[in-house]
Amino acid sequence: MGTLRDTLSRHGQSGGATLLLYPMLVALASGIPALAQVPPPPPPVTVAAVPLTTAQRAQQTMVSLNFRVPRGYHINSNTPKSEFLIPTALKMDLPTDIILGKIEYPAGEEMTFPFSPDEKLSVYAGDFTVSVGVHPLHSVVPGKYVMRGVLRYQACDDAACYPPRTLPVSFEVKVVKEPATHHANPAQSPHVHN
Amino acid sequence: METSPGTGQNSQDAGESPRPPEPSRTSPETLSPDPKPPNLSPRSPLVLVVVAFVVALMLYFGYHQARRPGASAAPARLTQLSLAPDFSLESLDGKTMRLSDLRGKAVLLNFWATWCGPCKIEMPWFVELQTQYGSQGLQIVGVAMDDASKEDIGKFAKDMGVNYPILIGKESVGDQYGGVPALPESFLIGRDGKIVDKIIGLRGKAEIEDAVKKALNTHPASSQASAARPEIVPAPR
Repeated sequence: MGTLRDTLSRHGQSGGATLLLYPMLVALASGIPALAQVPPPPPPVTVAAVPLTTAQRAQQTMVSLNFRVPRGYHINSNTPKSEFLIPTALKMDLPTDIILGKIEYPAGEEMTFPFSPDEKLSVYAGDFTVSVGVHPLHSVVPGKYVMRGVLRYQACDDAACYPPRTLPVSFEVKVVKEPATHHANPAQSPHVHN
Repeated sequence: METSPGTGQNSQDAGESPRPPEPSRTSPETLSPDPKPPNLSPRSPLVLVVVAFVVALMLYFGYHQARRPGASAAPARLTQLSLAPDFSLESLDGKTMRLSDLRGKAVLLNFWATWCGPCKIEMPWFVELQTQYGSQGLQIVGVAMDDASKEDIGKFAKDMGVNYPILIGKESVGDQYGGVPALPESFLIGRDGKIVDKIIGLRGKAEIEDAVKKALNTHPASSQASAARPEIVPAPR
């Protein structure tokens, strides 16, 4: 601005009158009729922190993942009512020798929307929980392991839908040995220890 | 307890990048104090400085617009004065359709997807509008922004009784039209090839019909204007 003022004063311009040009030019530059505003994309679905879970070897342990759909939006359930709708699905990639067990999805909430007044859709809105079974094999060395995966979902609000997204999820599992099996007590040698 | 709450993809909105001013050929003498009235010829330093200032302002606002979270990465930004960006896409019947071939007609360009519930509501309206206004020069064109197979898209369109061409969309075409961050999204294009309106999300049929009439009320451009290049400016990165 200083440079501009200097230049103007060198030209003997009255600064006040000339500076009126600026808002006019700016208005001219931005005065092109704007089209409808693009709505901001929906905030992403979030997942809560998962407490450390202890999983015994050779046994399936269920881990609960708590998700939250932002207010005003919904996502399809795992079993939407149309073949064309994109189901919410969790895909896990577990460490070697930790087997993925069952993934349990909640039933969808049956809702109608302004865009589908005659048809109920099966959706998740608000909070929902997906449970994942992890099954460490005997061969797994006891210790902490990180399980990683992604939740794929597709969100809509009352008037528009947004392209599918993926939400990375991860949680830790502490693998412990299975309890020692109880063997029949063999006869002890009758040593006497002094 | 390390769970990494994930986030979706962020994107950036496009902005307009104005044409830079011509290099100044001003000689040092013209910058010296001059009691004469200001020189307002195109090469005047005053004009150049004002233009540079405006360009700087536009770049500033464009930059901040581009940094706004939630906008998509490279899409162009369109205004009502924009010539609709041209494209060629394959239709469900395997033919290639070019948007500019429809010049002289009013076009409703509808971006949709099979997974989009609100899009499904609009489609019967489009069928009715095509029937009602087709003879007046309306051409509705659907662009499926879908990962579904061509067969699935075709099945969906058939189930919906679609009576207008459906094209298999590409991300690059979506980017030409501002990224199409939400569906449905429709552009009303006048007979002169210029965008006259844009409808995002599900609206009433009456609103769509009004926009169709607006597009139908335009006049074909002269051959010179038709040959003009789209007034789309690449988004700043």
